[in-house]
Amino acid sequence: MKITGIVPDEWIVSYASGALSEAHALVIASHCHFHPDLQKKVKTAEDIGGLLMEDSEPSSLSNDLFDDLMKKIDTLPANDFQPLNDNGLPTPLAGYLGNKSLDQLKWRLMGPGLSQVRLWTGPNDERLWLLKAKGGTKVPLHDHNGLEMTLVLHGSYHVGQDCYSPGMLEIADDDTVDHMPVIDQGDECICLVLTEAPIKIHGVIGRLLQHFTGL
Amino acid sequence: MDEISKFTNFSHEQLVSIIAKHKDRVAFKILFKYFAPRLKSYLLNFKISNQKAEDLAQETMLVLWQKADKFDSAKAKISTWLFRVARNKYIDQVRKQKYTEVNVDDHVDLMVAAEKTDQNLEEKQNSGRMQMALQSLNKDQLKVIKLSFFKELSHSQIADATGLPLGTVKSKIRTAFQALRKELGEY
Repeated sequence: MKITGIVPDEWIVSYASGALSEAHALVIASHCHFHPDLQKKVKTAEDIGGLLMEDSEPSSLSNDLFDDLMKKIDTLPANDFQPLNDNGLPTPLAGYLGNKSLDQLKWRLMGPGLSQVRLWTGPNDERLWLLKAKGGTKVPLHDHNGLEMTLVLHGSYHVGQDCYSPGMLEIADDDTVDHMPVIDQGDECICLVLTEAPIKIHGVIGRLLQHFTGL
Repeated sequence: MDEISKFTNFSHEQLVSIIAKHKDRVAFKILFKYFAPRLKSYLLNFKISNQKAEDLAQETMLVLWQKADKFDSAKAKISTWLFRVARNKYIDQVRKQKYTEVNVDDHVDLMVAAEKTDQNLEEKQNSGRMQMALQSLNKDQLKVIKLSFFKELSHSQIADATGLPLGTVKSKIRTAFQALRKELGEY
């Protein structure tokens, strides 16, 4: 049975193995911040990585590698530890944002009720955004050219009958057509969004909007 | 009795604890001799030079020396901890990306207590456990797990490498993970 809003195990394995891009890893790590069960799964997957590493045939090392390391250790300064600020964000995302609060970011208006901060652009035009939408906003009807992951940080939205609230992750892909999230009335909704390719917005106005926003 | 033999029956986790409390170089050397060659082998899977793999293995062991006091043997295995550090160092230095960590420490079940086993027995148990768990996988499941952990390939890259449909790759990883979780359940 498909569970709405919780990432499937294959993404946990890819996260633990290091196979995700910077942006995918941030989305998955931030999603896991909300769910202790997912944290346990990540730990198990990393245990598997550790055992596979430990099970590897040992390679030979340069003779002086250990002595070199001890020489380095003797010249190192003491560690400094910088505690993280508490700004209400998942710890992985807070760290990624350099512990700035959402209000301290430069939000750019992208259409009626919608604003965004672009966080990262990948080598294959993957994009990581923070999106903010006012209650009642309808995201323009669209299809997908690739994967889209949306992690709700604040507020909530619906896609048809499915409701996405803080901590839930929506994964949409090429098979997801006529996608139109509707922000629930009341609070604004803030999401961390990863797109692997520009979405295909229906209608002329939507496409004009896309031209200016880069969605 | 030489300086290393006094730690013969100590588990890896006990050695980390000794490093944390006393900055004991002999205890650290024992862990270095065991883990650094294995970390290097793991890192060499990613087509980096011998020198780079040694540098990264050395840096990973340096983190162990510096942060041994942060390690809690009740919550994690040392092999998991080192794997995570080595993975992140490779991604940071070779792929030039940040890899955000999941904070798993607050929610993990208690693991094997350090005093339950001695070092040699523990090494054999870990290796045997993984071998048995891997044997529970079918050929395709084993392949996708190895391509994930030893090549860091994404789902679509694994599909390209194996010729399997993307949906099949995802389901193979999922079922392989579930099988490994079951086999390693008491680990």
